[in-house]
Amino acid sequence: MIGVSDETSPVGRVLGTTDATPLQFWTAVTPGSYLQLDDVVVTTRELPDREPVTIAGVVTQVRARHEGAQFDSDVFAIAEGTLPALVQEAAEITTTRVDPELYVPPAPGAVVHRASGSARDAALHFDRMERRIPMGTGRDGVPVFLNADFLDGTRGAHVSISGISGVATKTSFATFLLYSVFRSGQLGADGTNARALIFNVKGEDLLFLDYANTKLDDATTSAYKLLELPATPFSDVRVYAPPRAGDSSGAPDVSSRLTGVDAFYWTLEEFCDKKLLPYVFADADDERQQYTMVVHSVTAHLNRYAVPAEGGISIDGRRISSYGDLVDHIVEQLTDDDTRSTWAGSAINMGTVNAFARRLIGSKRDLARLIRGDLAQRRPHQIKTAESAQVTVVDLHNLPDRAQRFVVGVTLKTEFEEKEKAGTGRPLLFVVLDELNKYAPREGTSPIKEVLLDIAERGRSLGVILIGAQQTASEVERRIVTNSAIRVVGRLDPAEAARPEYGFLPPAMRQRALLARPGTMFVNQPDIPVPLCVEFPFPAWATRKSESGPPPAESMRSIVQGADPFAVVGRPGSDDDIPF
Amino acid sequence: MTRMFVDAWDPSYGSSFEGGGEEGPASQSSAQVDTDVEVPAAEWAPIDVSTAIRRPDVVFLVDGVRRNDAGLWTEEEDGTSYAGLAASFAAGVVRCDLARGSAELVDARVGRGLFTASPSAGDVQAGSVRYEVHRVSGTGEASKLPAAVQPSLTALEIDISATARQHEDLLVVDGPLRNRRHLPRTIGYVKTQQKQYLPAALTAVVTSLRPGQRTPVFHIGTVWGGWSWYLRLPGGSGAPWSGIVRVECSPDLTPDQAIELAGLSGATLPRFASSPYKDPRAPQNLVPIAGLERRLRGMLGDSRVLHRALTLATFRDRVHP
Repeated sequence: MIGVSDETSPVGRVLGTTDATPLQFWTAVTPGSYLQLDDVVVTTRELPDREPVTIAGVVTQVRARHEGAQFDSDVFAIAEGTLPALVQEAAEITTTRVDPELYVPPAPGAVVHRASGSARDAALHFDRMERRIPMGTGRDGVPVFLNADFLDGTRGAHVSISGISGVATKTSFATFLLYSVFRSGQLGADGTNARALIFNVKGEDLLFLDYANTKLDDATTSAYKLLELPATPFSDVRVYAPPRAGDSSGAPDVSSRLTGVDAFYWTLEEFCDKKLLPYVFADADDERQQYTMVVHSVTAHLNRYAVPAEGGISIDGRRISSYGDLVDHIVEQLTDDDTRSTWAGSAINMGTVNAFARRLIGSKRDLARLIRGDLAQRRPHQIKTAESAQVTVVDLHNLPDRAQRFVVGVTLKTEFEEKEKAGTGRPLLFVVLDELNKYAPREGTSPIKEVLLDIAERGRSLGVILIGAQQTASEVERRIVTNSAIRVVGRLDPAEAARPEYGFLPPAMRQRALLARPGTMFVNQPDIPVPLCVEFPFPAWATRKSESGPPPAESMRSIVQGADPFAVVGRPGSDDDIPF
Repeated sequence: MTRMFVDAWDPSYGSSFEGGGEEGPASQSSAQVDTDVEVPAAEWAPIDVSTAIRRPDVVFLVDGVRRNDAGLWTEEEDGTSYAGLAASFAAGVVRCDLARGSAELVDARVGRGLFTASPSAGDVQAGSVRYEVHRVSGTGEASKLPAAVQPSLTALEIDISATARQHEDLLVVDGPLRNRRHLPRTIGYVKTQQKQYLPAALTAVVTSLRPGQRTPVFHIGTVWGGWSWYLRLPGGSGAPWSGIVRVECSPDLTPDQAIELAGLSGATLPRFASSPYKDPRAPQNLVPIAGLERRLRGMLGDSRVLHRALTLATFRDRVHP
């Protein structure tokens, strides 16, 4: 039973002039008291021959009006002091918990108390959460929690975050949630062993996760303390960036973070062997074209006939050492009448081949720096979370669109296949991907969308948790959104807020989402019937170069020295043993 | 050609003076009227609000409302029957603090009574409310019962008028003062003009009043009489008697005190005048009074609920006496 923590805190009485229902009712606020949106209240209903029912809920609307005024202009007479009237406030309460579960309406006139302490926890179902991950504070300044069961796949998985870019702070919330998972200790060993794969699509703001934030003030530190989290940066981060364009040494292309960044790329051999060509054609409209057939035949041909040769490959007796050469070779072979059928099959007409060739040639500029035949093959260059740090950041922000899709598609596919191979749900892998509407749009299909759908639908059992962010949930594949147990909304565009994807927000909250400030999110989780308004603290890690403190010791090494010669015991999360 | 005016009052309340007629109240009063109190009758003229008058910051207004909840019939032992009337009534005080800009209900009381001439009738408990029996003398015909409620309501009004008074305030009583004349700084506010007190020559002064102006004080020599004057409120239709109210104060006061109160009323009351589209009895029904009546009516409770409760209660009494 939900206890009323403080009998001396009545704030009002249940109204009898509007219907009181078990799920929603109005409360008149006692003069001198107040209720604000999101306040948690509790009332009891006496029943004959049974224990009383405790009804708890949150305030979803508040109104104040002059009683005794008939006309709008009466307000002047009232303010002048000639017309007697009462100001009466009333609050709409949406029920969050009925205990025991007897759905009876509260009796009009019943005293309504403000809930605090254990009564508040009970009203918001926090008391039933075995493992609760702090995700910020409510409007009342007290922590609110996320049920870990709905995050780690026990009863649900995946997070969908929507909101206008810039003000909705989607990625900040995603990273804070990750931080909370890693540091709160609520997931036990799962939390410590969990990995995160973060794609950084905009700016370099996720490249400093392991740098202390120099702008961290006492207020923020105490906010972290309230949530029982340390106010420190992420501890184990590895950043991957694409090689600089036109640079033969393969140095990572970043401008602000200079240490602890590793370059990632794929060798031509991997490109052929792992059948990565379809990811070059990862636009949704690519799939609608006729040349998908050609893509698949060429992929199969490369897989079958390409032979590794000193970093590059050799095919048809020809040595190829760059992506450009490979493209040229494929186009040459396809346009040649003698070889076309061996590469693309016999039933392909020239128009289709040309369409394919045009696209392929167009990809040269975008992908040449990612698919290499000139760099040392044995040098580590792949993004593999299992062998990387706890947090792996893949920087995509200065890649063109097609290259971004290629990297996301291939990386996710590789990771998911690894997980499938391992066959266990542990360790957990959190994938943070912004602009989900680009990778998994509602219309059309693409190889990336297939991977993302796979993650959304089967990832829960394989321990792959998608934290997807998008400006508009209405433009993301519906199956991905519906598979997300946790839905988060920041500031929304007015037209977007009216869409059915946000049906979980009560009308008043939908309106509030239009003016949500940065740092305020509305979080809906399956076992609380009302979304919670959450304010999460300012990041304790740097989000840009200007606020970053000194680099962490680990990042002083580059991937070339992946095994620190001075470290006797391997770094956490690395399989490296004593290096001799 | 005769000029025509539509009376601002809703027809169901009667005309602004009972009896009708364009040129004055229905019947000439037989009371002795002394019109030479403030100025000699020959010099009567409308008086403007003096700028020297300091308006009271706090004005109290008292009013009551009544409602007939149900008509009843009794069945006596000897087979005769008496009419009964179950009525609810309420009285309240509004404190208008014009300096602070707040008007609040200071006190309100609700009474309920069963008015009947039946010698055997007792109190009726209808649901959660109790109708106390008020024995009416005489034959107690049904048509006379509504008038029998008035003394109880007036008693309630008098009772409540004494509450929460303070220094330098003004108490406005809705209706004639009657037996409330002992209250300090109190004026009676008469909305409807039933009797013509002034001689015809002076009546012209009344009808020539402009909004905010008052007539000089005169004295009415009846039992309930006293010092009195007419005042025109702003917002009337312009008809000769529209917006005219008669104000009275206790005859126990000296003429000077009465003149001072007349000045105060002229400075205070026009401010409270109501507007026609909001109040069917505008402008005479003052805004605070209208608000007070609304509140009081709300306190009387729902008439249908009470009617049903009464029906149920009397039925039970008949079945299980």
